[in-house]
Amino acid sequence: MTDVGRHPRIELMTLSEVVDVQGYIGNFRVKVLRKARYVDEKECTACGDCLEDCPVTKPNEFDLGLSTRKAIYQPFPQAVPAAFALNMEECLGNNPIACGKCLEKCEKECIDYDMQDKEVEIKVGTIIVATGMDVYDPTELDEFGYTRFENVVTSLEFERLINAGGPTEGHLIRPTDWQLPKRVAFIQCIGSRSEKRGNPYCSNVCCMNTIKDSLLIKNHWPEVEIKVFYMDIRAFGKGFEDLYKRSKAEGVMYIRGIPGDIREDQETKNLFLLAEDSNTGKVMEHEVDMVILSIGLIPSTENSLIRQLLTLSRTSDGFFMEAHPKLQPVDAPTKGVFFAGCAESPKDIKDSVTQASASASRANILMSAGKFTVEAITSLINEELCKACGLCARVCPYHAIEFDKEKKLPARVIEASCAGCGTCGAECAFDAVVMRHFTDQQILGQVEAILEENPQDKVVVFACNWCSYAGADYAGVSRLQYPPSIRIIRTMCSGRVDEKFVLHAFKLGAPIVLVSGCHFADCHYINANRWTQKRVEKLWDKLEKKGIRPERLQLEWISAAEGLKFAKVMKEMEELRQGVTLEEIDYTRKEL
Amino acid sequence: MAEEANFKCLRCGHQFKAPFSPKDEPQERACPECGSNSVRRIKEKAKKK
Repeated sequence: MTDVGRHPRIELMTLSEVVDVQGYIGNFRVKVLRKARYVDEKECTACGDCLEDCPVTKPNEFDLGLSTRKAIYQPFPQAVPAAFALNMEECLGNNPIACGKCLEKCEKECIDYDMQDKEVEIKVGTIIVATGMDVYDPTELDEFGYTRFENVVTSLEFERLINAGGPTEGHLIRPTDWQLPKRVAFIQCIGSRSEKRGNPYCSNVCCMNTIKDSLLIKNHWPEVEIKVFYMDIRAFGKGFEDLYKRSKAEGVMYIRGIPGDIREDQETKNLFLLAEDSNTGKVMEHEVDMVILSIGLIPSTENSLIRQLLTLSRTSDGFFMEAHPKLQPVDAPTKGVFFAGCAESPKDIKDSVTQASASASRANILMSAGKFTVEAITSLINEELCKACGLCARVCPYHAIEFDKEKKLPARVIEASCAGCGTCGAECAFDAVVMRHFTDQQILGQVEAILEENPQDKVVVFACNWCSYAGADYAGVSRLQYPPSIRIIRTMCSGRVDEKFVLHAFKLGAPIVLVSGCHFADCHYINANRWTQKRVEKLWDKLEKKGIRPERLQLEWISAAEGLKFAKVMKEMEELRQGVTLEEIDYTRKEL
Repeated sequence: MAEEANFKCLRCGHQFKAPFSPKDEPQERACPECGSNSVRRIKEKAKKK
C-alpha cells in the first residue's frame, strides 16, 4: 500500500466516495466526493502530538470496538497516507471554551477546521471494482450467545486480539478475566451454508482461517486445548490440506457437528457447548473458556449503490456477477469494468491478489491498445423511423443509448457500451432499432421457414444464446431425447424476443410458442430478461383479450447446465401442443 | 405483512398465493407443483360500486 501511495502515476484518493459515473469504456467520467480530512495530509507526519490532549474517546472501528481512539486519529498504523484525520462529527470544535486543543498542540499547523468537502470529476478509461465485503453479524443466532456471553467472540475480533498491533499486543486473553484461556472452541459456518438463517453459500475462507488461528495458538501456547466444531473442513487450496493435517498433528481436535446450544456458568464464565459428533453419533457437553465464532462473509452493503453507478449485475448471493464465469471471470458485464477481490465472491488473500493482477492486466491491455473491438451485434437506430420516445434508452441495461428528452432528437447508440442484447429492438414500437445479425426480418424469416409446412405440428422455441440455447446443446451432447416437433430460434438474449415475433408465429399457425432465457440471477445482459417477463405477461393479457388461450405462450428459464430440464420442458411443450385443436389454430389466425 | 397475490401456472393450472407488490422488480417465479416458470398473476377485477 505504501508503494501505491508513493507511485508517481497512481493518485490515491482516500476519504473519498464515488457519487456518479457517466460515459463508457475508454471515456468514463467519474465524480468523486473528497471528504474533508481537516488535516493537511501533505504536512502531517502522524507524530501523534495532537492525540495527547484530545478529550474525545470513541470505540476504535479497526479493533472492532475492543480498544478506543480519539476524535483525531489514524484509522490503523499502516494506513496510507500516513496522516491523521479529524472526525468533525465527534470533534468538540475550534471553540476555545469547548476545545481546540489539537490545533494548539500541532506545531506544523496541519489542522484546518474550515476545510470543506469538494467534488472532483476525473476521466478514466477503465474501472476496477475492489470494494470488498462485510462480515456476517451472528447476533441473530441466539443459541451461540454472541453479545449475551462476553467470552463468545467472532473470528474477526479474535484476529485483532491475537494481533501484535491489536489491543492486547498479541496476548491471547479471554474478555471476562484477561487470563489466558486453557480451552478454546471454534465453531465453523456461522452465517454460512444455511438455507434458513444466514446465507446458503460457503464463505470460502473460514475453514483455513480457523486452521491458521489454531496453529497460531498452538505455536505460542501449546498447552491450550483447541476444539473445532465443523460441518465439513474445506481445505482445497495449494498446501491447505497439509496445514489441516499439521493442525491435527499439533493436537487440535476436530468434532464433526455444530453445537445446538451454549450456556454460561455465571460464576466461572466458562461456556458449555452441547453438540452431537456425527462421526460417533454421541451427544456430548464440552466445557471451554472461550468460543470463537467463525463468521461468514457477506456482500458489502454498498453493493447496491455501486451496481447502480456502474450498471452491474449481481448473483443471487448478492456479490457482483462476472461477464462469464469461465471465459471472462474478472470482467464485469459493463465493458471496461473489472473486479478484484471479495466484491465478486468470497475469497482469500491469494485468490484476491490473483484476481487483482488479472484485472490490472485486462485493464492495461485495453488502455495500451487505445482501441476496443466491438462485436458486430450492436443495435442501430433508424433516425427516420425514430420518434424520440426514449423507451429504448429506458430499457437498455447498459445505458448505451443516449436520448435528449428536451431536444427530442433521435436516440443514439453508444456502440462501445452496447452488448447486443436486443431489448431496445424488442421494445421499440416504431421498428426504429435494427439489431445487427438479429434483425426483425431475419427472425421473422426463421419463424416463417419453421411454420411453412404443417405448422400445427411445430413448437416454436425462442432460446437465448447463453443459457437456454446452451441448455439445448447440453441436452444434445448428453444424448437426451426430446420431441422432433421442437424448432429453436436463437437470439442473443430472451430480451430480444419482440411481441411481433410471437404473434407472427401464432398467426402462421403455431400451436405453442415458448420463450426461454437465463435464470434471473444468470442473465448475461444484467437484467434484460426482466423485460422479457414483463413482455410475456403483457402478451398473455393480449392473447386472452382476443379469446386465445394464454397457455399457448409459455415462458421458461433454463440455464446452460440444465440439459435435463431443457429436455423435460420440451416434452411438456409437446404435450401442450397435442392439446391445441385445429379449430383453435384457425381461430387464432383469423383473430391476429 | 408482505402483500400477496394469486398466481396461476399456465402449464399445470395450479393456483397459489405468493408475495407480490406492484412496486417490486419482476421476480423469477416457479409453480410450486410443476416447477414451470409460466406463472401468471391473476389480476382481481375492480369491484363496481
